[in-house]
Amino acid sequence: MQEHVQLTQKQINEDLLTSVLGTPRWWWPALGFFVLVFLIGMSAFGYMLNQGVGVTGLNRPVFWGAFMVNFVFFIGISHAGIMISAILRLTQAEWRRPITRAAEVLTVFSLMSALMAAPLVHVGRPWRADLWVFPYDFARGVWINIRSPFVWDPSAVMTYLTASTLFVLIALIPDLAIIRDRSTGLKRKLYAGMALGFRGTPRQWKLQTIAGILLSALVLPVFVSVHSIVSWDFAVQIGPEAWHSTIFAPYFIIGAIHSGVSAVATLMVVMVWAWGWNKYITPDHLDAIARLLIIVATAWFFFFFLEWVFALYTLEPAEMAMRKLQVFESPWSWLFVVFLFTAYFIPVPMWLFRGVRRSLFWMFVTTILVNVGMWLERFLIIVPGLMRRSEFIFDWGSYHPSIIELAMVAMTFAWVGMGMLVFTKVFPLIPLFDIKEGMVGRDEIRIGRRIVPASIRE
Amino acid sequence: MGGSATAVAAAACGVPEKELLVQAPLEMPEDLVTGLDNWYATIDRQNRNGIGIVVRVMEGRAKKIEGNVDYPVNVGKHNAIADAGVQSLYHPDRISAPLVRTGERGEGNWEEISWTDAVSRIASRLEGVSGEELVLVTSPIGGHMGSVVNSFTDAFGSTHLQYEPLERTVLQASIKNVFGQDVMPDFDIENAAYVLSFGADFLNGWVSPVRFGRGYGDFRHAEGRERGTFTHIESRLSMTAANADDWIYVKPGYEGVLALSMAKVIIDEGLGDDAAVASLTQNGTNDLSQFDPSNVSAVSGVPAQRIREIAHEFATKRPAVAIGGGSAAAHTNGLFNLNAVHSLNYLVGNVNKKGGVIFNPMPPIGLPVGSRSSSFQQMSTLSDRMANREVKALFVREADPFYGMPSSSEVRKASFGVDLIVSFSGQFDDTTAMADIVLPEHNYLEDWGTDVPDPGPGYQVVGFQQPVVRPFFENRGGHLGTKNFGDVLITLGEILSNPLSLPGDDVKTFKDVVEQGARSLYGLNRGSVKSDDFRSFWQGVLQRGGWWDTGARYDGPSPTPPALPVSPQEPISGSGEFALVPFESAGLSDGRTSDLPWLQALPDPISTAVWHTWVEINNKKAEEMDIREGDVVEVTSPRGSIKALAYPHPGISPDAVAVPIGGGHLGGGRYSKERGSNVFSILEPLTDDKTGALAWGATRVSLRKTGDWVRLSKFENTKPDISEDTHRKIIPLTNG
Amino acid sequence: MADAKWGMVIDVDKCTGCQACVVACQSENNVPINTEDIFNQRRAIEWIRVERYWEGEFPDVKARFIPVLCQHCDDAPCEPVCPVFATYHNNEGMNVQIYNRCIGTRFCANNCPYHVRYFNFWEPEWPDTLTHQLNPDVTVRSRGIMEKCTFCVQRIRRTSREADRDGREIEDGARELSPACVNSCPTSALVWGDFNNKNSKVSNLAEKEMSHNGSHHGRGYKMMENLGTSPNVIYLKKIDKHAKETVAHE
Ligand SMILES: Nc1nc2c(c(=O)[nH]1)N[C@H]1C(S)=C(S)[C@@H](COP(=O)(O)OP(=O)(O)OC[C@H]3O[C@@H](n4cnc5c(=O)[nH]c(N)nc54)[C@H](O)[C@@H]3O)O[C@H]1N2
Ligand code: SF4
Ligand code: SF4
Ligand code: SF4
Ligand code: SF4
Ligand code: SF4
Repeated sequence: MQEHVQLTQKQINEDLLTSVLGTPRWWWPALGFFVLVFLIGMSAFGYMLNQGVGVTGLNRPVFWGAFMVNFVFFIGISHAGIMISAILRLTQAEWRRPITRAAEVLTVFSLMSALMAAPLVHVGRPWRADLWVFPYDFARGVWINIRSPFVWDPSAVMTYLTASTLFVLIALIPDLAIIRDRSTGLKRKLYAGMALGFRGTPRQWKLQTIAGILLSALVLPVFVSVHSIVSWDFAVQIGPEAWHSTIFAPYFIIGAIHSGVSAVATLMVVMVWAWGWNKYITPDHLDAIARLLIIVATAWFFFFFLEWVFALYTLEPAEMAMRKLQVFESPWSWLFVVFLFTAYFIPVPMWLFRGVRRSLFWMFVTTILVNVGMWLERFLIIVPGLMRRSEFIFDWGSYHPSIIELAMVAMTFAWVGMGMLVFTKVFPLIPLFDIKEGMVGRDEIRIGRRIVPASIRE
Repeated sequence: MGGSATAVAAAACGVPEKELLVQAPLEMPEDLVTGLDNWYATIDRQNRNGIGIVVRVMEGRAKKIEGNVDYPVNVGKHNAIADAGVQSLYHPDRISAPLVRTGERGEGNWEEISWTDAVSRIASRLEGVSGEELVLVTSPIGGHMGSVVNSFTDAFGSTHLQYEPLERTVLQASIKNVFGQDVMPDFDIENAAYVLSFGADFLNGWVSPVRFGRGYGDFRHAEGRERGTFTHIESRLSMTAANADDWIYVKPGYEGVLALSMAKVIIDEGLGDDAAVASLTQNGTNDLSQFDPSNVSAVSGVPAQRIREIAHEFATKRPAVAIGGGSAAAHTNGLFNLNAVHSLNYLVGNVNKKGGVIFNPMPPIGLPVGSRSSSFQQMSTLSDRMANREVKALFVREADPFYGMPSSSEVRKASFGVDLIVSFSGQFDDTTAMADIVLPEHNYLEDWGTDVPDPGPGYQVVGFQQPVVRPFFENRGGHLGTKNFGDVLITLGEILSNPLSLPGDDVKTFKDVVEQGARSLYGLNRGSVKSDDFRSFWQGVLQRGGWWDTGARYDGPSPTPPALPVSPQEPISGSGEFALVPFESAGLSDGRTSDLPWLQALPDPISTAVWHTWVEINNKKAEEMDIREGDVVEVTSPRGSIKALAYPHPGISPDAVAVPIGGGHLGGGRYSKERGSNVFSILEPLTDDKTGALAWGATRVSLRKTGDWVRLSKFENTKPDISEDTHRKIIPLTNG
Repeated sequence: MADAKWGMVIDVDKCTGCQACVVACQSENNVPINTEDIFNQRRAIEWIRVERYWEGEFPDVKARFIPVLCQHCDDAPCEPVCPVFATYHNNEGMNVQIYNRCIGTRFCANNCPYHVRYFNFWEPEWPDTLTHQLNPDVTVRSRGIMEKCTFCVQRIRRTSREADRDGREIEDGARELSPACVNSCPTSALVWGDFNNKNSKVSNLAEKEMSHNGSHHGRGYKMMENLGTSPNVIYLKKIDKHAKETVAHE
């Protein structure tokens, strides 16, 4: 039976603005930690700029490594925002309310991290990458090659980033107005500016709602395309075995949703632990997201299975050699086992238990595991694929990331942490107006013999 | 990809299908080359046998070396070693001025002095030194430098030893014994239908690899001929062996009996030329029965059936040629082996014929041939004399005996018995490191010279070497910098009032000697450059890189085949589980090119290893001994031990190990100093009993794992198993 | 020269594995020195490399060599994936590389089935004096960019410009036009020329050795032809009278 707590507007304001109006004791050390990791990564990056990509573990033939894995991984995480916000908003899933903003913000920061992983640190000459990411030099005829998936990538990611940022901003407007009304001085002026004169008139509410729904609808194709395009970085190649697979686009998308939604679940637990928002993020919410995860994870697993069926069906020697490497040769073999168990075989059976679904701790553990697994999944696609990608046995080689490379990988994670922390200091992480709207519209209806919570819609 | 998709679409709409072009809107820098370049012809001195090269020079700097298309020996071709010559010219560790030792001998403390100072110091220390007590050790020198050195030794009455580690004494003796020739004949493989070689790694390092490589190309496929068949007999799968249609493993030192066994088969089956058979067997009095394939099979390790097959092929696929040398000569019975091998040529009637052994005429204008090496025995006598303080002064030029002599540590010790060691090297090789005074000579690309190739192409050739760039250290002024070796000898002669006899009154410098030589050639009024006046003749030979006369061929008597060497000699070798096969890797030659980074980084053809000294061991044997690639193993002979990294592969017999030559320099520049191990240092000082040549293939060794592991740098990537093109995707084969 | 279609024929049966071509290319094209560390890092650069494959066990063992360089594919997989047009096809049938456009994504290297694209993981270094040997016609590549065989395009440019100036035709197989590796190869295993010139050596070899509509079967093959890359390099099969299995299977 789902719980039903009715909260007053005042209480909502107080609870949800704690992060903005006050500063918990752990906030500064936490921020300090992320900044430190970020700076270490940046120094590593500076060192790499000075010395060359040689400071990474990359080599011939493994030209792509942890940076590319990270790129795919963060694009994957970024699918959380749209999945939760757009899809759940359009399907009017009620439990989305407290987590939409966190998910959207996670999207924005992880997209930035993705861009940091590639092109910024991945390419050999980042100082020239502007030519590619922002093709501007038309006058000299310096144009980009639109046949390259690496041109599709930045266009897709930038579109996605723009859309997600708008999404966050539009949803923020009513809350900014609330903060404006509760602050003074310079702060008031700043929030007043950002609130764009929102006074809560019916017309303003209407516009804000329509904008939200419109953006949700418009962003959906982007959501599908982004990870498809990321998959095409691999799928259009004929060089590496096991990459040129037609299943890659949907496989990557469902994988992205799997890791993205898990990341949101992790975030929900962290929000409860950090600010004590257990009245807003209840076991009901965790339960709902875990149920969703069971479906997503299984759909993902189905694609994973299909990929193997296709590979085994052709029995192409080179592909078989690559698969053999993935599954039977150390260290890939045990990474493969870890990946399978963390991405599917541990979390999904656990989520079948109600107790796990409703437990903050277990949800935290399982969703973290999923993302460990999903990082490994990309690693196991990219690295062994490149290692054993040809007849030229002369060119077989192994790869392990260097310390410098790992520092930059850590940097991208720290960026997300840093971004989220700073965001919570400036903006409420749970949308006040959305929660209030939920409270207002809340009702109970009888379905058969059961009484279930429901909401009234406009 | 995108291109083909568009092409399909275009084809459907009636646009003719063609290559889809997406031209980038910018040009690449290479599209916009500017500046003027010149190509100058000269002679390569990096290889032991000079080949004609052309050097591209821009703005006074040598940029690229290629083969000289006109030069008869190599006809435009060259090899990696020749190409790397620019690195010897611009080597960062070249010696740029005369040096005098300041600390103890071999300590490596030097002070720059001026040429006048250096020469006068030498002159003062040579006071009272008799001709006997002055020894000149050089690499084999031919051409006009050879003449000048001869005048020097004549003037001083001193000894001249022509040293190279892999000496050609046995080969030359065998050529003399079997063919009665004083100069090396050419092996005309491009016109042969069948090549049978014993131990001669002629595509890689042996004698004249560029010349033989060129011949090999035509031998395989050329207009108007069938593909030739090539059988190679050697104890290690060398690069040459890898290219043979059949590689036959023979126990080291048994090449001679194997050849005689083949001779017996040919004679018994009546496949040989009658006259030759009569002469070779002394009209049948020589008893060949002991060489029956069934007997020989047991000692040589070659199945009797194979011996018969090869003998059969050799005798029937004519013209056929038999070549012996390299490791076949490197045993205590080396001369026996080579004599037996070269005698086979008479059986197939190919001597001085197209597709066989082609004799070379003597060089014109009395020039010395450039490959007369002194034997190891002579060198060790020198070493003993040095130890006994019988040598007061030692001059060393272009030779590195302290590196290449077996038990080099003893030779180095012996050098402490010498008062004055002068090195003419432009690089710190192992011998120069022990010198008292260093008088750096010009790099060959800055210098004059002539060269008589040995073997020549069947007619007279004199290659001309000219400076293609000004001496690199010219900017240090006349008192510092480098000089020509001949000029220094001439100056020394003058100062010590032992003037060298030079050909002509106006001849003052080595360049004059060379020019005077050209004048003599001009006087012959024949050959490749003809002209009405000497100036244009001179320009002609310099432009073409030399002078040759295709009409000036061997016109001596046809030799009668000498009796087959029917009393076989067992090779003598030390004890130890494995036969040690030292070999030349692709780049390092006999160690003289070890200091050039391109050559250190040039993957060995068989192991693809670089920058290291490794030991090749049979893969199965290695498995038995639990040795894996990169294991540091100690290779121990009765003379000492070296460390090398294991490289197991299937191309070597389980009872032999092979170690590349060229590592372990104690001197040397930054790219070779103390890199790898020197396999010469563990060779036993065994000699061929007839010629006194070093039997460098006769040492036996044992292996011991040290327990250390070092990654063996190589081009081939790391993978657990032997690289094999299992699906024939890379190298498909055909039967013909 | 606009209508040329440059290409190479490599006779595997002639190649001895001597690697003269390797050094010739390094010398002509300012390829950085491959140090011991570079080899250990598996980042060595050889625009043309000689591969060695084993077959069998002692004593019936073969080591076979094959030189591999950029195949200058007509449908080059490396080209469409380059986001900045740093690698593209020119109108002489060559795949060329504009170093100063390349940003070093290494996408092209992944997608080259022949593994002939080499990345500059480090800034190349030459000791001071060795810089004198560098070829001024060829860019010295910096760190972070891709490089590969260019068919020695600088020689083609220089020679055709000079020929234009002097109003002469360039002969097939002219030395000054031929790539460094081709000129060096002692056995003439490498032949280079214009496939559009029907009288050129490469055209004749292609005519003779490649099968045409199944009518004639020579030794010619294109490496990994099944990938549809349409290389401009033709290999001639190695002849081995003992070959047990002579047909490549997919
Ligand atoms: N005149 C005429 N026009 C018609 C029709 C008609 O009956 N008559 N029918 C219409 C209909 S129903 C159809 S479905 C379309 C069909 O039209 P298309 O799709 O153009 O079909 P095809 O011409 O059969 O084949 C297209 C190309 O695919 C190539 N191909 C074959 N197998 C493969 C493969 O595995 N991979 C790749 N990449 N290529 C491959 C073939 O060689 C051929 O060049 O035509 C329509 N147009
Ligand atoms: S000289 Fe070179 S760097 Fe200078 S402007 Fe011209 S192209 Fe640019
Ligand atoms: S061989 Fe590789 S680099 Fe060369 S054109 Fe083909 S795909 Fe491109
Ligand atoms: S590495 Fe350079 S050439 Fe290759 S795809 Fe990237 S930008 Fe293009
Ligand atoms: S054609 Fe030129 S660039 Fe290409 S491998 Fe040969 S020498 Fe090197
Ligand atoms: S130079 Fe010629 S023979 Fe030597 S490895 Fe290269 S292609 Fe083969």
